[in-house]
Amino acid sequence: MSNPPDAQAAGGRSKATSRYATVRLAHGSGGRLSLELIEELFVATFGNEPLRELSDAAVVANPGGRLAFCTDSHTVTPTFFPGGDIGRLAVAGTVNDLAVMGAKPMYLTAAFLLEEGYDMDELERVVRSMKATADEAGVAIVAGDTKVLERGKGDGLFVNTAGVGFLPDERRMGMDLVQPGDQVLVNGTLGDHGIAVMSRREGLDLAVELTSDVAPLNGLIERVLEVAPNVRFMRDVTRGGLAAVANEVVLRRPFGLRVYDVAVPVHDLVEQYSEMLGIDPLLAANEGKVMMIVPPDETEAALGAMKAHPLGREAAVIGDIVKKPEGVALVETAYGSRRVLEMPIEEQLPRIC
Amino acid sequence: MLERPTALAGQPDTFEPTTYRDPDLVAGLKDRIAEVARQIGRPVKLMHICGTHEHEIGRFALRDLLPESVTVLAGPGCPVCVCDNEYINMAIRLSLEPDVILASFGDMLAVPGSIPLEGERRGDVRMSLLDARARGGDVRAVYSVFDAAHLAEQNPDKQVVFFSVGFETTVVAVAAMLKRGAPDNLSVIEANYYTPPASKLLPTLEGFDIEGFILPGHAVTITGLRVYEPLAEQGLACAAGGFEPVDVMASVVSLLEQIRDQRFAVENPYKRLVKYDGNEKAKRETDEVFELSPIRWRGIGEIPASGYKLRPEYQRYSAARRFAGRLDPIDLQGAEHPKGCRCAEVTLGQIRPDDCGVFGKLCTPDSPYGPCMVSHEGTCRAWYVYGMHKERLHVEPA
Repeated sequence: MSNPPDAQAAGGRSKATSRYATVRLAHGSGGRLSLELIEELFVATFGNEPLRELSDAAVVANPGGRLAFCTDSHTVTPTFFPGGDIGRLAVAGTVNDLAVMGAKPMYLTAAFLLEEGYDMDELERVVRSMKATADEAGVAIVAGDTKVLERGKGDGLFVNTAGVGFLPDERRMGMDLVQPGDQVLVNGTLGDHGIAVMSRREGLDLAVELTSDVAPLNGLIERVLEVAPNVRFMRDVTRGGLAAVANEVVLRRPFGLRVYDVAVPVHDLVEQYSEMLGIDPLLAANEGKVMMIVPPDETEAALGAMKAHPLGREAAVIGDIVKKPEGVALVETAYGSRRVLEMPIEEQLPRIC
Repeated sequence: MLERPTALAGQPDTFEPTTYRDPDLVAGLKDRIAEVARQIGRPVKLMHICGTHEHEIGRFALRDLLPESVTVLAGPGCPVCVCDNEYINMAIRLSLEPDVILASFGDMLAVPGSIPLEGERRGDVRMSLLDARARGGDVRAVYSVFDAAHLAEQNPDKQVVFFSVGFETTVVAVAAMLKRGAPDNLSVIEANYYTPPASKLLPTLEGFDIEGFILPGHAVTITGLRVYEPLAEQGLACAAGGFEPVDVMASVVSLLEQIRDQRFAVENPYKRLVKYDGNEKAKRETDEVFELSPIRWRGIGEIPASGYKLRPEYQRYSAARRFAGRLDPIDLQGAEHPKGCRCAEVTLGQIRPDDCGVFGKLCTPDSPYGPCMVSHEGTCRAWYVYGMHKERLHVEPA
């Protein structure tokens, strides 16, 4: 389109939202209202050349070599939570999935499933948050889709993002490279997102508010890989917490993963609220944390690079890979006793006592 | 009565929780336990009767810290596990009534009753409240009876049924609320259990060889310790047990010292919360609303004066009475546990969870067979989640 209006820069509301306070079925019909929403909200906010073409597929440059490609759908209650919202979550989640593969995230798509009657101002806030997060991560949202579901047939708003990243040929990472003696690192406190969202959902009044850690990690990961090129394996720690990731690493493998309870960074408030809610911070969700498995001779460099980055100030070595027990993730307590760190089982539910 | 735990002697009384997780204090108690166990010079079996104890013992791997000769077993301490099928079935049936919202603690939702689950492929599977919800029942997870009352106020055209399961601690809140006036459209399923009669029953069982009880810290905060004096009079060591590692270890020290000296009493190493006579106000209010009656314990049978039932002046809040016309009493009863499930023996501390043939195989937290694998308070679940059947995990570093 010729002259995309930038609603935010102009200091006013986009035309789409000024005409309608809520989402209508026609916004997803492919007709005039659809086009208005796309041009005046999505294109205007995300603003980049491939998207402005409004063609059936975005056309982007290909630098050669390997591509990493992934997709993720997002739903969260509440849509806006302390420290973030579904838009930031959707962009950071896909950027992180690419970055932990060692790829440089480049292009994202965004698909919106909107429920008829969804508040247009809220949608605009989500879209702006996506743009801000994409800028922070240095990626462009180059294609998208909008569908509107009849009222009662959707839960407000679902966002799907898919992403493409360039994967340099020399990057080799994988679970099969992990060996006994390797060290286990995380870039900061665990459980922040899960406990922040849950405390809001359960209506707990917090004197000091906990915030989600949701953030794109590609910058931090790139810094680490510059100084520790032989990182064996990394994965973003999301739903299921560290327990899920640790178990994925050891499943059917001839080694175990040991976590030292006292070495795990946990925010004081997370500690308190997880005790109260009966939830283990090792099982609680994160949205801005990565677990790395690093050879011993690169551990110090990797830890240093993490700590030098704003998203890794509280980074720590939390454990190691052991020969035995095989196939088990375990926790060593402050007392030297040991227990299994089991795979999370279900959504955490309120307990009797 | 015992003075403050040895390891805490000389320390200020404190509510600072980190004190009770202090590694040095725990190390001191570990040495003390080893010392007294050596003085006793033979194997000793102790039992706790609270699901939270098993959970915390697993979480901090405290059995690793005990000498080989000292065994701590889990007894009947899980309210979800002992809740009789009759009440679970009642909750399921009521949740499927179109005008009913069934409010329950989260722990209870996945516990199967005895109503067969039609069309299930995994074998002899019984219906839970989650299955009822999947079939259209309005089932909500709540934290307390106050949440249920709130639901009743918000839904005046519905009947809200609170599934009141629990021990001495949870019944207090129900009593407090009913006494102060509850919405007319609220009723309760009376599945509150009183534990002292069950612990007195244990020594009468064949093969009983337990020498001491770690008393449930939460429950005795309400009931006090006097109700356990008959156990001490029978020559059983008793000590109130808190839930932090220092508390648990201190209660073991107390029990072992009583056994060594053959001098039995109800001791209180959990003084910062437990008073010998309990919480008088809570007991009084509970007594005004509820009276003790016989009740069936799942897998154990009926125990006299071990269930809290509403007194006549509060029976208008009884779900069993309010919905009597809609419930078929025969339908509410049934087989105790599904085939192959040994929850009853696990609950009584007669076998270890991994002695059961279905443990960890057919029966896991993802597809539980019996209640002990469902509840966070259940012994089987704690063993599975914390790997307690993989005793003393041997680590070989690189």
